[in-house]
Amino acid sequence: MLLFQKNGKPIMQLLKEDTHTQQARLADYCRTGNTPNLIDIKQDNLYQYRRLVFNIASDTLETAYPITYSFLPQNVWEKLVYDYFAEHKCQTTQVWRMPLEFYDYCKEKNLQETLGVPFLNDLLYFEWLELDVHTMEDIAYPKTKEIGSWLTDVIVLNPEHKLIQLSYPVHTTAPTENLDEKKGNYFLLIYREKQTGNVQFIDLSMLYVFIIENIINGITLNIILEEANTLLQINDIDLLTQHALTFLEDLKQREFVLGFLS
Amino acid sequence: MNHSIGIGFRKDFAEELLNTNDLKPAFIELAPENWIGMGGYWKKELDKAAEKFPITCHGLSLSIGSPDEVDVNFVKQVKQFLKHYNVKIYSEHLSYSKCDNAHLYDLLPIPFREDAVKHIVQRIKQVQDILEMPLVLENVSYYTSVAAQMKEEEFISAIVNESGCNMLLDVNNVYVNAFNHNYNAKEFIKKLPLHKVAYVHIAGHEQVSDTLIIDTHGQAVIDPVFELFDYASDLIKPVPVLLERDFNIPELSELQNEINRLDAIVSKKWQTNYAIA
Ligand SMILES: [Fe+2]
Repeated sequence: MLLFQKNGKPIMQLLKEDTHTQQARLADYCRTGNTPNLIDIKQDNLYQYRRLVFNIASDTLETAYPITYSFLPQNVWEKLVYDYFAEHKCQTTQVWRMPLEFYDYCKEKNLQETLGVPFLNDLLYFEWLELDVHTMEDIAYPKTKEIGSWLTDVIVLNPEHKLIQLSYPVHTTAPTENLDEKKGNYFLLIYREKQTGNVQFIDLSMLYVFIIENIINGITLNIILEEANTLLQINDIDLLTQHALTFLEDLKQREFVLGFLS
Repeated sequence: MNHSIGIGFRKDFAEELLNTNDLKPAFIELAPENWIGMGGYWKKELDKAAEKFPITCHGLSLSIGSPDEVDVNFVKQVKQFLKHYNVKIYSEHLSYSKCDNAHLYDLLPIPFREDAVKHIVQRIKQVQDILEMPLVLENVSYYTSVAAQMKEEEFISAIVNESGCNMLLDVNNVYVNAFNHNYNAKEFIKKLPLHKVAYVHIAGHEQVSDTLIIDTHGQAVIDPVFELFDYASDLIKPVPVLLERDFNIPELSELQNEINRLDAIVSKKWQTNYAIA
């Protein structure tokens, strides 16, 4: 007997509406805490479900966003988590990825404005990315050679990284230190060390972002520097080269530069 | 030599498990949801674990009792994961954790009703078709039934018998439910489709009041649960047995003692050695 259509939808709906309603009410209760109208339940024990479900959600968020959690006043955080879990339907099957949906929810609702915390999105994003880069799927490392020319060989970077722009320096300044007064353009490199799997952060200036982005695109350093020299009106290619080389040597030490394309 | 008792693989003790011999499970069990698509440090640890131990999987998000449609893409991801790690047992809970397109990440009790049986049987068949292997479904602990029109054991039996799935007998859950809902655990076990039991769970729990036990997996297994396991193991064929310990992890030697005790119970009656992978 054919039970399903090609898209996986059942041909026959076997679950009665009434049973579905009971299931939905229990689930809604777990999400909102609002007393449900359920048939034949042990009233005294019902709240265990709300407690257990909600604890998992709030623990997961506290663990993912420890800085935000300890910065926001307790009641603000609690309301945030409460509203999120009640209003938002969690989509991921993997609870450890659920905090990303919380970040998206806060962004969509523009809560940083409502709550008067202008750096909220940046802070959540920063905290999420630490987790995200730590767990991101392995990316194959390109073949490299140890010896090469910084200027004319293609420099190979650790592919397990993210380069992001922030409006507040949440990566260098604690939220309590007048962070809201430091609006600007900040660049952050986040990458995962191959051996340890540890996540590292490097604060970057615009020039270094320019260099890294071009290296990612396979452009050699001599060309990148010439362009930077004109574009940023530095007009001292030797000095620029010297700075760039020091920077890249440092990134090599830190295992972000892997070597040269072989 | 322990042939059939495994342990739930937890990040909390992964390193110790992999680098010492304090704990010698016959296999490890893990939730595919916690590992699918993960790279970096934990992927390496998982791969090391897979080299050292056979793996069984115990899922969290399939939500077989959900009113929703089966998440076909998710089942396919699980299938790929099972294949990659050569997993021969994929168990899940006879409960729901997703409703009307919202995941809840915990196990809710399904109404014990005939229409729910039919609905779930259909879903099990769909999942088994994709996986190309039988599901193994666990009797869950619950703190209240909802809108029940039949007995729990009738509900479980009907689903197992009509769907062709196998059963995970969680002995602790039987104990917890018998306490919370005032029934006799042994009588209950006798009424289950025992010929379909392919896997066993055993765990600790927490009694929070005179009338309520919470299934925490955070304490040592208590004597009456060992005893109930002893009783149940006479009624089923030899199967892998899993010690669940999710929180409040003690010294690994303590977990090994529990494994030894379980092994001592089954080794006197289960002569068959079988390969888990
Ligand atoms: Fe279990």
